[in-house]
Amino acid sequence: MFEGFFYQEKGVFLQSLHPLAAVFYLGGLLVLTLLFTNPLYLLGLLLVILLCIAAVRGWETWETYFRLSLSMMILVIIINPLLVRTGETVIWWGPRLPVFGRLTVSLEAVCYGAAMSVRLLAVISIFCLYNLTVHPDKVLSLLARFASRSALVLSLATRMFPAMLRQMENIREVQAMRGVDFQAGTLKERLSRYAALMNILLLSSLEDSLEIAEAMQARAFGSGKRSCYRQDTWRPRDSLCLGGSLLALAVAVYGQAKGFSTFSFYPQLGYLIPGPMTVVVLIIILLALSVPVVLSWGWQRCPYIKAKI
Amino acid sequence: MAFWRKMLLPLALVFIPGLLLASIKINAFLLGQGWGLLALLIIIIALVLMYWGFEQGRVSSREVAVIAMLGTIAAAGRVPFASLPGIQPTTFIVIISGFVFGPRAGFMVGSTAGLVSNFFLGQGPWTPWQMFAWGLAGTSAGVLKTGCPRAGKKVMTVFSFLWGYLFGWIMNLWTWTGFIHPLTWESFVATYAASFWFDTLHALGNAAFYLFFGSSFIKILQRFRRRLEVRLLPADS
Repeated sequence: MFEGFFYQEKGVFLQSLHPLAAVFYLGGLLVLTLLFTNPLYLLGLLLVILLCIAAVRGWETWETYFRLSLSMMILVIIINPLLVRTGETVIWWGPRLPVFGRLTVSLEAVCYGAAMSVRLLAVISIFCLYNLTVHPDKVLSLLARFASRSALVLSLATRMFPAMLRQMENIREVQAMRGVDFQAGTLKERLSRYAALMNILLLSSLEDSLEIAEAMQARAFGSGKRSCYRQDTWRPRDSLCLGGSLLALAVAVYGQAKGFSTFSFYPQLGYLIPGPMTVVVLIIILLALSVPVVLSWGWQRCPYIKAKI
Repeated sequence: MAFWRKMLLPLALVFIPGLLLASIKINAFLLGQGWGLLALLIIIIALVLMYWGFEQGRVSSREVAVIAMLGTIAAAGRVPFASLPGIQPTTFIVIISGFVFGPRAGFMVGSTAGLVSNFFLGQGPWTPWQMFAWGLAGTSAGVLKTGCPRAGKKVMTVFSFLWGYLFGWIMNLWTWTGFIHPLTWESFVATYAASFWFDTLHALGNAAFYLFFGSSFIKILQRFRRRLEVRLLPADS
């Protein structure tokens, strides 16, 4: 059911990045998406993200995400114009409502809603990209250096989640064999059947957890300094990607501070491109962010680059 | 390292109000738009602090395993009920875990449930908020236990009911700061009004779960809590 959401090893370039570089790059993308309001910048970021998704051959997964986010996007587009009254260019005078007063729809609010829905799509696509590129275990092992116990809890839970769903299915089947019908009856009856299921699940899985604890104890958990099972190598490609993300972040902060990349929706729409610097800053940011995409392309096409990075 | 360990809490406590102050005083920093980003940052700092608290305490292997398992159960609880909006036993399981195992374990169960279930239901910008909201549900249940250890069925049912709303209200902050503009009282009320029925459903679900199955679940958990307390005797005696 949720197959697409799982990380799958496809042997593509982006998946071979060091987890730190990958997480930093994705985090940078996220910060930039939440920072910019200029529609041009948001669209540019979305373009880079989509290129990355293409580079990990994740179109099918992305389509699922797109379908899921579509309803939220539409909601954002509808709610914004209806609620916001600060836009000056009113394009529709609506009826009077008891609490809210007269409904008005302004051009500015519609544009803002559209920009925000692009932002929403970009943010969700970043998470789609994250699920496609970064192995959960790698991030957890990165985390384990700083917070070993929390990382252990999280990785145990991640590992047991699919098993738990399978076990739940097992219990459900056993219950069904004994004549319990999970579909029939009122909500209350169905709830009580599900709760009985959870009851059994709780008992048996907590029993299992004590076994896991004994296995950990037997493997000397907590008896001294932790050893490290997995070593990720830091390669030139990671430095390049990290450098690109840092450059993009620095230029973005510069652009925001100087006002090159800002855009005001209210009370009236500002100029999309107030000066040449807006375009320059945008191009630098997009180029810096597309380092992984370019490297990925080179990695596939050019043996020399592949050998060097 | 030891220095940072000591300084983390005070630094974070200075940093969060500092960020809030900066957002009011220096408009250029946020450009009136960065609230979504700022709120996310504050939530992440809060989460880091909570995890840091867990790292500092003494935790046995049994506790780690039981916390992880409870987190998984709470996360798995989201799946079979995915078709019923708002009704899922996750909040309920997090609350009783916090109630039985204490605030720290409650937080870990709640935040683990939020993070792990989203590995499978889809990670998103909502993840830190859900981790925070569920973590807080678990913590507050643990605090409630220390405050009034004899909290009975009635108190806990009301408590679970209230958490249905609280959870929705915390999540609304995410929607409001991230995607609604301008951030006025009007739009605030409208956002909260929009989620009212959904939250009510969640609250009723929680109360129903607690009312019907709270005592049996708590009995199971208490039994395992007793089993957690193991003393290792020296081998040579």
